[in-house]
Amino acid sequence: MHIIEAKQIHKNYAIENREMRILSDVSLNVIEGETLVITGSSGSGKTTLLSLLAGLDKPTGGHIFMQGQDITHMHEDELAPLRNQTIGFVFQSFHLVPSLTAIENITFPAEICKDRRAGQKAQTLLERVGLLGRKANYPHQLSGGEKQRVAICRALINAPRILFADEPTGNLDSENGQTILRLLLDLKTEHQATLILATHSNKIAAMADRIIMLKDGRLFEERQHVG
Amino acid sequence: MWAKPFFLKQMTRGGQQAIVFILCVTLSIVTISALESLTHQVNTALTEDARALHAADIIVRSRLSISNNLANQIKSLENAAMIKSARVYEFYSMARAVDRPDSLLAKLKVVEKGYPFYGHIELASGRPFQQVLAPGNIIVAPLLLERLGLGIGDRMKIGNSHLTIVDTVIKEPDRPLNFFALGPRIFISADDLDALDLLKKGSRIRYLWLIKVADDSQLEALTSRLKKTAGLEERVNTYRTANSRIKRFLNNFFFFLALVGMLILLLAGFGIQSAMGALLRDNQKTIAIMKAIGAKSDFIIRQYLLIAFIYATVGIIIGHLLGLLLHNLLFSALAPLLPEALAPTLTATAIIKALVIGFVAVAVFTFLPLQRVKFLKPTVIFRKERVKVKKNIGYFCGLVMILLVFVASVLWHINDYRTGIYFVLGILAMVLLIAVFTQFVLWILNRLPVRSLLLRQALKGLFRPGNATRAIIISLTASVTVIFAIYLVERNLDASFVESYPSDTPNLFFLDIQPSQLADFKKTLGKPAEFYPIVRARVIAVNDEKIDRQQERQRRGDNLARVFNLTYRHHLLADERIREGQNLFQNDVNGVQVSLLDTVQEIRSMRIGDRITFRIQGIPLEATITSIRTRTKESLRPFFYFVFPQEVLETAPQTIFTAINISKTAVADLQNRIVTRFPNISVVDITEALAVVAGVMQKLSKTVRFFTVFSIAAGVLIIISSVLATRIARIREAVYYKVLGARRSFILKVFTLENMFLGLISGALALAIAQVGSWLICKMVLNIDYQPFAGASLLMIIATMLLVVMVSLPSSLSILNQKPVSFLREQTQE
Repeated sequence: MHIIEAKQIHKNYAIENREMRILSDVSLNVIEGETLVITGSSGSGKTTLLSLLAGLDKPTGGHIFMQGQDITHMHEDELAPLRNQTIGFVFQSFHLVPSLTAIENITFPAEICKDRRAGQKAQTLLERVGLLGRKANYPHQLSGGEKQRVAICRALINAPRILFADEPTGNLDSENGQTILRLLLDLKTEHQATLILATHSNKIAAMADRIIMLKDGRLFEERQHVG
Repeated sequence: MWAKPFFLKQMTRGGQQAIVFILCVTLSIVTISALESLTHQVNTALTEDARALHAADIIVRSRLSISNNLANQIKSLENAAMIKSARVYEFYSMARAVDRPDSLLAKLKVVEKGYPFYGHIELASGRPFQQVLAPGNIIVAPLLLERLGLGIGDRMKIGNSHLTIVDTVIKEPDRPLNFFALGPRIFISADDLDALDLLKKGSRIRYLWLIKVADDSQLEALTSRLKKTAGLEERVNTYRTANSRIKRFLNNFFFFLALVGMLILLLAGFGIQSAMGALLRDNQKTIAIMKAIGAKSDFIIRQYLLIAFIYATVGIIIGHLLGLLLHNLLFSALAPLLPEALAPTLTATAIIKALVIGFVAVAVFTFLPLQRVKFLKPTVIFRKERVKVKKNIGYFCGLVMILLVFVASVLWHINDYRTGIYFVLGILAMVLLIAVFTQFVLWILNRLPVRSLLLRQALKGLFRPGNATRAIIISLTASVTVIFAIYLVERNLDASFVESYPSDTPNLFFLDIQPSQLADFKKTLGKPAEFYPIVRARVIAVNDEKIDRQQERQRRGDNLARVFNLTYRHHLLADERIREGQNLFQNDVNGVQVSLLDTVQEIRSMRIGDRITFRIQGIPLEATITSIRTRTKESLRPFFYFVFPQEVLETAPQTIFTAINISKTAVADLQNRIVTRFPNISVVDITEALAVVAGVMQKLSKTVRFFTVFSIAAGVLIIISSVLATRIARIREAVYYKVLGARRSFILKVFTLENMFLGLISGALALAIAQVGSWLICKMVLNIDYQPFAGASLLMIIATMLLVVMVSLPSSLSILNQKPVSFLREQTQE
């Protein structure tokens, strides 16, 4: 069963009156429960593809289906419930709300959908990632690794079916990066989610079920991981 | 030393914060520039045109008839051809048509030939005044004809004379002096004075003797000669030293507006501080890079200070242009009060003063934000880090120095050191109080457990890094407090004197009843009434310490130099009670006793046992204070500062006064009956008189309110500055909310609620302070009942909330349209 289908998607950006093609004719299917890694060199279009698949951006051409539903031309407010409950996103730069504490950042998506157990769920997740003692800390009081763990908890609080991660270890040192990656994969398994991860690291790519490689905005190679 | 390319780039790329900065400077300059020019021009005009305003070189004034000594001296000087003189008598009297019973109170000016020596009285016919005002003729204001339905050629009865209306007066040189007149003007020739039969003992008459000197160089010498002969009641002044009532009134009014101007300067200063802080935060990375490549903090501060001064120059220029516009508006609003032939222009003094104060304000209010530059580390290039300003001795010394310079500028502007210091201390106390309250409210809100996600996010927004929440609340609260307080005091005054005008309060006053007319008057009145004898007197000493009239007249508000109305009785009035002492008078005190109304203590501290020396018709009378009375309620009922035992004053020259309550429809009939029978008695319809005063006061209060709107503008600019400064943070929040699944409506609600909180806190704090302040003013100063006006108060809070929401809404709406992915990409690239 395909949880996401992308059909012949194109993406152009206008940069100072110049039209730049970022993605060209990319088609791919994401199977429910798999760990898909999108890899490629810097500027190959990984983040753009991830943003399009997650409904954070709209393609210039082509169609994207999520759970069979065409999300290509959906209005921001129509996408809101999907972003809230179907997907979770972990960013390279964490993007935690600076005015909220760690636990408030985590409970926030659950509170949007009026989940009465938001606090309890956030506590459990914080405990799971070893940050219960820092729940009242603001983002600026946390280290990079801690911020990313909070971001992962936030992405998982509504038990999304799809988890997107854009270079989740890009801003971390190797030890912290390893820990975060392990945590992400473990939690993905625990929550039986689909993980779509963009990275340029071959080491991380090696942990995937399937890898697709982008080069100059085109799908260059797709391979199943057999390790 | 300055880095030209860097400096120019920074200056031209200041963006919206630069605009806010410039507008704040503009705002601080507008009122100073406009007011300073107007005050300077009015003062100059009143001094330069003083000869025309007073119509003479030397002016002799008295509340009693001019003493024989002085009169003889004036006559001998006139006989020696050294001077020309003309006597003038000013007083109110009833005037009525000869063939009709209609009458009204008019302001009479009885003048001798020669008046006016200077200035021009313009008549409707265009003929010369002195030629038209022949004996038996009168010249009247057009309003009188309109009110009595009369025309040129009709005859009027004034006092015991029948006089013919021959012209109407269009323009008088001393027009501003008559602004508060309770009745229209009538000019009468002094040849008709005796026939009028209105100069009775104790009547309220202003005796003037106007003198024109033959040789200008003799002016001072002649004045001092006359001064030496003048009695205690007589004031001799040249046109240069004569201080008119209107000059005093305008001085007081402009002084009050100058205080409001200083409040606006302070609030605009907060705006300057906020905009400069935001500008530096926007350039934080640039500053860090400059430091990383070796620039010293002082060097960078100099660059930004120079930028600030260039912005300030632009603001000052715009401020002066708008000041000219405001100056014109003030001119048209206050036109009837201002001397004629005054053209609205900005004066050089005003321009220089505003320039100095503007630059001082910029130096003062950019001091704190610029201090941040010193403590900003180059590591900001790599990671976001909060700049912590170390508050060492140097920091505090700098702060105190700059504050002192600011206070000095304020004192220089308002030119009254004592009041200036009280004002600065008062304003600082108010700002400090608001700051403490704000801190407390924010402390509570930051810890308040809120279940609703919307409310919680909105509250969190108040604590967003870079948000000028405190500055917004403090400045908005300070400006709104002033407006609320003015409104509440006005409403309470209205409620006390107009709306809840008790039905039994006297509305018709009868002045100048002669003791010999009393029995007949009572019969004609046909109504029971309380009669108050009035003896006019001056206070000449308190505990043997002479009253310095010159100094007393400088005092704002009431003073001991004026003429007081003494009375005698042995009972308290219905609205009086004894505050100190046992009875009005005591048996164990030797000599003359007097009971004092506590209002006198506001002019000068006096206690039971103190001795006051009065001068009644030239005769001194010393009395010991044996009781202090207070009024239970401020009202329009008659009251007296000094009450004596009957036996002390019953033989003194006196008039009698009474006030009655009568239905409005019966006023005209009674007034006409009294005037026909007693031409010398003045009848004042107090509701009409109140309307005249209320009309003037409304005009003035509108001007004050107009000024206070500028203080609100300062608050609005701070909101705009804060909204601009936190735009990125707000976009970030909006994007995160969207990525996490929030709808646009949710985001809009969060931002709107946040702004509503700002308005609510500011409005509520302002209202609380304004309520306490207005209560104190009403109870302690005006001595009237106080109503909090809950409905209007609620509306004021709602209006403040709406103001903040409306100002911030455009920014919130534009943030909603931000695409998450573009923002996230920019942030990641950073």
